[in-house]
Amino acid sequence: MRRNVKDTIVRDYGKLDELRDVKVPRVRPEDSPETPAGKAPDPELGTDTIAHARYYDHEFMKLEWERIWTRVWLLACREDDIPEPGDYVVTEMGPESVLVVRQEDGGVKAFYNVCQHRGNRLRGPGIGSAKTFKCAYHHWEYRLDGSFENIPDLETFPQGAPCRGLEEMRCDTWGSFVWYSFNPEVEPLLDFLDPIPQHLAPYNFDRMALTRDVTIEWDCNWKTSVDAFNESYHVQGIHPQLLWYLDDYNIQIDCYERHNRYLIPFATISPRVKLPPDVPPAIKAIMQEAGMDPADYDGKIKDLRVNIQKFKRKHGADQGKDYSRLNDDQLTDDYHYLIFPNITLNIHADDLMLFRQRPHPTDPDRMYFDVQTYELIPDGEEWPERPEHGQFKHGDKSIGLVLDQDAFNLPTVQQGMHSRGYRGLWIGNQELRIRHFHKVIDDYIYGPDGKPPGAL
Amino acid sequence: MDLGLKGKKAIVTGSTKGIGRRIVDLLADEGCDVGICSRDAEEVEAAVAELKKKGVNAVGGEVNVRDGDAYKAWLETTAEQLGGCDIFIPNVSAGGGMDSEKNWWKNFEIDVLGTVRGVETLMPHLEKSDAASVVVISSTNAVEFFVGPMAYNAMKAALLNYAKQLSQFVAAKNIRVNSITPGPVYFEGGAWEMIEGTMPDFYKATLKQIPSRRMGSPEEIARVTVFVASPAASVLQGANVVADNGFTKRVQY
Repeated sequence: MRRNVKDTIVRDYGKLDELRDVKVPRVRPEDSPETPAGKAPDPELGTDTIAHARYYDHEFMKLEWERIWTRVWLLACREDDIPEPGDYVVTEMGPESVLVVRQEDGGVKAFYNVCQHRGNRLRGPGIGSAKTFKCAYHHWEYRLDGSFENIPDLETFPQGAPCRGLEEMRCDTWGSFVWYSFNPEVEPLLDFLDPIPQHLAPYNFDRMALTRDVTIEWDCNWKTSVDAFNESYHVQGIHPQLLWYLDDYNIQIDCYERHNRYLIPFATISPRVKLPPDVPPAIKAIMQEAGMDPADYDGKIKDLRVNIQKFKRKHGADQGKDYSRLNDDQLTDDYHYLIFPNITLNIHADDLMLFRQRPHPTDPDRMYFDVQTYELIPDGEEWPERPEHGQFKHGDKSIGLVLDQDAFNLPTVQQGMHSRGYRGLWIGNQELRIRHFHKVIDDYIYGPDGKPPGAL
Repeated sequence: MDLGLKGKKAIVTGSTKGIGRRIVDLLADEGCDVGICSRDAEEVEAAVAELKKKGVNAVGGEVNVRDGDAYKAWLETTAEQLGGCDIFIPNVSAGGGMDSEKNWWKNFEIDVLGTVRGVETLMPHLEKSDAASVVVISSTNAVEFFVGPMAYNAMKAALLNYAKQLSQFVAAKNIRVNSITPGPVYFEGGAWEMIEGTMPDFYKATLKQIPSRRMGSPEEIARVTVFVASPAASVLQGANVVADNGFTKRVQY
């Protein structure tokens, strides 16, 4: 049964008299050979409120579809979801459905999931394997490359067969993931993702196995969800237990051209609370994961993070975990990225938690929240079987305490967006990524001339 | 009531924060010279400076009580700096946990040996004192079920036994030995604050077992401890004072 996450909050940690003075040791940029560790200059984004109508306005939703979703690269699946020729994934995006197919030559192609005869969808959402794609209506049949295999009674079509089979779209791979775009003119994937590939290559996501795959239907706009993970200011409000797990205040925010990130120190104590006498339970779990015995820890609580980093650096290779391309901070911290517009990545040396935020086909007050967890599999260890995809409505099942806490307020935030008494999003520096995200949305929607006066 | 502590010399381990800190604060308020220690040199320095403001002599050192040689050396130095030792309160603890067998070693080395080594090292000074008093800090975990078969619980029970045996053994030397058995104690930076934040269900369930729905404060435990340590409690020998707001339910025969 789902717990009421309000019960998890006993005290008000945002009202404490003073923040503990914490100097977080951070890796020097020159000691981070691959993923840049240095702070990017903050963009000048002003202090205006962000219009709340963006979160429910149907016209704005239409603009997003026409100028964002159908212009950018979007995440389809993992390459190892479709290892063999004929393996396919159907993924839904707004009103569209996309069919991603592994080709005979090992490549990947993406198609609109629609039969060119009477418009039926060829396959339902999910993963499967096919020799051909035969429409369930009149049995028009397509090969893996989208060309026609068979059209029953072709002689009864005086116009002949359509000149092309399935409508193909742009498709490419990066970082063990398959991406597609509705935009035939889209820039190359690596250009769109820049600088993400350079930043994240050292994690070698291809060594991580999918261990959880669920979709939750949330009663909020997709941006309400993106925003929820684009700041750590909410930790003191809804995740009190994390104050003994991470430093939610001394974070580094970096905004790039269209993507952004923050670096959150993990395995440490928030400056909002005093140092505890013992190793907090969740940090014990980090230590045990790394092969450390918390009972054997003789260092200081404030040095936990650095000592865990040192331990992992020293023992990682023996455990079949190659950390050689990562800097020390990456061994403990959350390198947290937003790949515009809708991919949130919580990245650690040993795991990746990926959120994909998808809009509802017609309703700006609803969305689909995909959660996938990937775990680094030590060399020589057998990979777990791919978990079955689960889908349910918000509140029907727990998705873990932290995400339950995250999800708790979203429907009421969405309701508040509609209020005539709400004056718009009042964004602070801790939420700079939200401001940046909306600036990139503006760039896509309004183009180089900028937002016209009075526009959302 | 005069506690008779003015001019006495007290050594308290783990005394820059929480219960230990309130104990040395109150001792200093009563005119005791105090020796303190912790794992953190900066915290020791800050605490010593504040204690000195109370007009008493205060000395302190950074020491890991687990390191027997370093600990004994610190005790010797501290007794020397204070010009003796009348009161010894071995307060430091390795805390709870059921992570591995190492918990047993750690609670044994820090809780039990931290007490035993301290008593043995300071015995020559206590023997010379006209108000010698040792107060051992146990826990209600020692006398009732709590969480599970933790080393912490068992070692705190060992301390109760040790204190009683010791009290008879040294009584003839005019050294008093008593125990304090605190129940849950809440303070900022304490274990229960962390439990409140990280395991709210367990925190609330524990609170429900306390009739007043209130955990003890370091101040309250310190007041009891300082009284028991003081010459005013001269009749106490081998006593175990349960200071728990009614958390435990057994009858104290």
